[in-house]
Amino acid sequence: MEERRIGVYVCNCGTNIAKMVDCEAVAREAEQLPGVVAARSYKYMCSNPGQEMIQQDIRDLKLDRVVVAACSPRMHELTFRGALQGAGLNPYFLEMANIREQCSWVHEDARAATSKAAALTRAAVKRVVFHEPLEKRYVDMCPATLVIGGGVAGITAALELAGADQPVYLVEREDHLGGNVARVDLTAPYLDSARDILAERIARVRENSNIRVLLESEVQQVTGFVGNFTATIRTGRDGEVATTEARIGSVIVCTGYQPFDAARVQSYGYGWFPNVVTSFDFERMLRSGRIVTDKGAPPRYVAIVHCIGSRSQEFHPYCSRVCCMTALKYAHEAKSALPEAYVYDLYIDMHAFGKGCEDFYRRSAEIKTIFLMYRKGSAPEIRQAGPKYDCEMLIRVNDQLSGEEVDIPADLVVLMVGMESREDAGKVARMVNISQDKDGWFIESHPKLDPVATTTDGVFIAGACQAPKDITDSVAQARAAAARILGKIARGRIEVDAVFAEVDEERCSGCRMCNELCPYVAIEYDETKKRSHVISALCKACGTCVASCPSGAIKARHFTDQQIFAQIEGVL
Amino acid sequence: MDFEPKIVGFLCNWCSYTGADLAGTSRIKYEPNVRVIRVMCSARVDPTFVLKAFEQGADGVLICGCHPGDCHYTEGNYKTMRRFPLLKRLLGDYGIEPERVRLEWVSASEGHRFAEIVNDMAAKIRAMGPCLARPALTEDPAQR
Amino acid sequence: MAILANPRLVGELEHYGAGDVVKCYHCGNCSAACPFSKEPFIFPRKSMRYLQMGLEDKLRGNLEPWLCYYCGECSEQCPREAEPGEVMMSMRRWLTAQYDFTGISKLFYKSWKAELSAIVAVALLTGLGFWWWGATHGDIRHYDGPQAFLASSFVHAFDWIMGGVLLALLLTNCARMWWFSMGRSRINVPLTEYVRRAWLLPVHFLTQKRYRECEKKRPWAVHLALMLSYVTMLVLIMFFLHAFQEGPEISWPHHSLGYLATIGLIGASVYALRGRIRRSETHYKHSHETDWIFLILLLYVAVTGIVQHALHRFGAGHAANILYLAHMMGVVPMLVLEVPFSKWAHLAYRPLAMYFSELQGAAILAREKSAAPAVRARAA
Repeated sequence: MEERRIGVYVCNCGTNIAKMVDCEAVAREAEQLPGVVAARSYKYMCSNPGQEMIQQDIRDLKLDRVVVAACSPRMHELTFRGALQGAGLNPYFLEMANIREQCSWVHEDARAATSKAAALTRAAVKRVVFHEPLEKRYVDMCPATLVIGGGVAGITAALELAGADQPVYLVEREDHLGGNVARVDLTAPYLDSARDILAERIARVRENSNIRVLLESEVQQVTGFVGNFTATIRTGRDGEVATTEARIGSVIVCTGYQPFDAARVQSYGYGWFPNVVTSFDFERMLRSGRIVTDKGAPPRYVAIVHCIGSRSQEFHPYCSRVCCMTALKYAHEAKSALPEAYVYDLYIDMHAFGKGCEDFYRRSAEIKTIFLMYRKGSAPEIRQAGPKYDCEMLIRVNDQLSGEEVDIPADLVVLMVGMESREDAGKVARMVNISQDKDGWFIESHPKLDPVATTTDGVFIAGACQAPKDITDSVAQARAAAARILGKIARGRIEVDAVFAEVDEERCSGCRMCNELCPYVAIEYDETKKRSHVISALCKACGTCVASCPSGAIKARHFTDQQIFAQIEGVL
Repeated sequence: MDFEPKIVGFLCNWCSYTGADLAGTSRIKYEPNVRVIRVMCSARVDPTFVLKAFEQGADGVLICGCHPGDCHYTEGNYKTMRRFPLLKRLLGDYGIEPERVRLEWVSASEGHRFAEIVNDMAAKIRAMGPCLARPALTEDPAQR
Repeated sequence: MAILANPRLVGELEHYGAGDVVKCYHCGNCSAACPFSKEPFIFPRKSMRYLQMGLEDKLRGNLEPWLCYYCGECSEQCPREAEPGEVMMSMRRWLTAQYDFTGISKLFYKSWKAELSAIVAVALLTGLGFWWWGATHGDIRHYDGPQAFLASSFVHAFDWIMGGVLLALLLTNCARMWWFSMGRSRINVPLTEYVRRAWLLPVHFLTQKRYRECEKKRPWAVHLALMLSYVTMLVLIMFFLHAFQEGPEISWPHHSLGYLATIGLIGASVYALRGRIRRSETHYKHSHETDWIFLILLLYVAVTGIVQHALHRFGAGHAANILYLAHMMGVVPMLVLEVPFSKWAHLAYRPLAMYFSELQGAAILAREKSAAPAVRARAA
């Protein structure tokens, strides 16, 4: 092996490292290691003078490898890689030793901390010897997008993409577009008609030649990788089935939510009392313009109960977010249809965030909705009213704001059923390779900074499949996802990380053990060669296959066996 | 001089390494016995890494990954979980007590947990004494 | 046992001026802002809650509205403009109607036309009656002396009969108030306590000391002046009427007090009327019809009273007698209709509520004290 010329830079980080680690001693010890031509300790390595010092050494001392012993690589690895690149060195010729987060900040014995820092630095020096130059890779981007789900999010995303003249496949399971919004009468808080919101957009979808709408269809399979997916879509029910193969570059999952099954909560008697209905049953009444009890008479007392299945330890701990304002919407609609009726609203907390919502809450109070606050864990109980009452049912509520237990009259009870992830969301998740949280919602790439992307490149999520969401937020997320995709399309090609696994076909025995293990289905078996190979654009570099290969034929770039062995030697 | 065990820690990049960094940013103090090697996923930990560590003189090996269900690579940690009993059996063949290797789940938000695990492991291995299996590992298998 | 809620209660109270109660969302700023609100009577939020929920019985036995003097602090702090001060005021009106068993009070509060008609009717009846009596028993040109048109002995007797009837009505209402708030309450107050703390009644009545705890002192001063003037006048008329109708010389011991009381009555009622017209203070922002009727009657009575006195002293007997008639046509409806059935009744209810609430408070504290060792023992 040719002789390496390694530079070692020990950062003091002001006093953050230096007060617990003798940085000079660490540098002196590193200087003794084979291949090290310079070892320096400096106050702030990440500062401009610090980086310039490294670059100067690279040029003057002809360094070919660099070790920075400083903070966590999660903090400044990219910074120092940039410094290397600036001095004309391959950025992957860098290794960092984490002597701040995992050393100076967590230890109290300076001697032990210094010896640990020296060991970590030694390990980095030994490892960096085996670092290989890696190059960024690019693949072509297919401009077509598959939108799964034709609800308000899917429709919006499709229109946004098609509006930029990009082809879209819009796949909907039902025989019509609109999703859950199509089941709704008015919307909160401005009481606009959901039908008006949808009808115009659906018409635009139908008119747009860039959008291919596939109704009564389901995506069967998605293979490939970012920019180069292939989707198999099945159309039609038993009997006449057609299959479409679509070449696409991106996927937006907009599969939405399903309403919570109210019958699961015993105390409300849903399914038992004919006049206990769910919010979706009530929407149907509102859309038909006839609010009536099972006897066909208009109710004199309407009670709306919040948080059915939501914010409960037994069912779903989360808030479904839209039900509070929907409940207030019902209060408005009931009061305007039945001015003589008394409307009760039974809530745990009124979540009136969002534009116009607090004002909507206030107006709901002004139209004499009677609000009662029940306690989480002490759900209201519904029972049949006796003949001496002028109502169908009585609801027993323990009101938190007065401390009183009261019976309220009710002829019609509306249960605000929460949102839950669809029963078959797991199937979708596996198909497009995205994760679900414990409640079944799809997980975004970053909860704050990247709420539309997923951990799978090229697969985006929008709408209530990610978490309970109202129309406004679903539309915003759908447009954001579309914008992200249009950005990728505009660039024409996609950068793929240099870190990935590769199979040495000479050593591969074709046992196919790795094929099954790969969570990204990134390893393909070539039937003619009887060898496996990694589709590098799909590979996320986890290294699962590398550790399992019985022939040692797979190499994890930048995490090779050789590099890690050297590191193990170094720390001990 | 008292025996101070050397422990090699293999930490997955996404959860456990970030968790260990969090222990640092939170200034949680723990024993300096563990030296960390970053891997992308706990499933990257090849059994030979562990053997290599013991051969090089480690007294213990700690493997940390994401909690089940939270793996950045969907299910890498399940593979680690299934591989781990086999690894212990293999180590037994070399006379290495199974208590010297440990598999733990540490999320990115569990700085405290990481510190507790390190302290606990350091104390237990300190009590066990140095690992004496090195000669068995370094001898040429052909001569066994 | 759960209470059956009455959703109609809010609609009912709307007639009394409590319409804004529906806006309340129970942040509790009002109770925090109120200088009088203290354990165990934290108001006005809880009273507002009883009303919103339609807990009629709770509200009927509630003394808290009477503990409020309507300084307006709560209404100013309310983030939702639910006007807690005005709601408390309305609850006082409603409670007045609840205490009154005849139903007349409810009728008046719900319909100002009914009240006005009743006033006009009583006034006409009074006028006719007194005219007939004067015409048959005296001479309209004489205000005093044996030929007086309305002899003080006659008016005095009339006053006492009327006073007796009104007192009986008011006491019945007070008894009902006691029953609603104390009698059927689960808080048991022993009779000895009633006696031991009886001194509170006259103290609260005469000083209105609680009102003074309010940050704004002027309303208290105006209210006290009005109340003391009124009581002074009542005492003068009930016991010393003859001194007013003799003359024309001025009987300074009596008249000086009478002048003071008149100044107090006119001053306070003009101040209040002007405030209500200009809506100058929070508690003047909302005016129920009964507030206007009450103030106008008061001013009318005070003005006619002093004018007839002046005419008499200046020797205009005929005119004085006509003014006297006009005066009585105001006084009688005011007393007959206002004392047991409307706003004037609060002069009895408020001190009573203060007294009752002190008794209740003491009983609650005593109960908590005696329960405390038991709780501690359980905990141990």
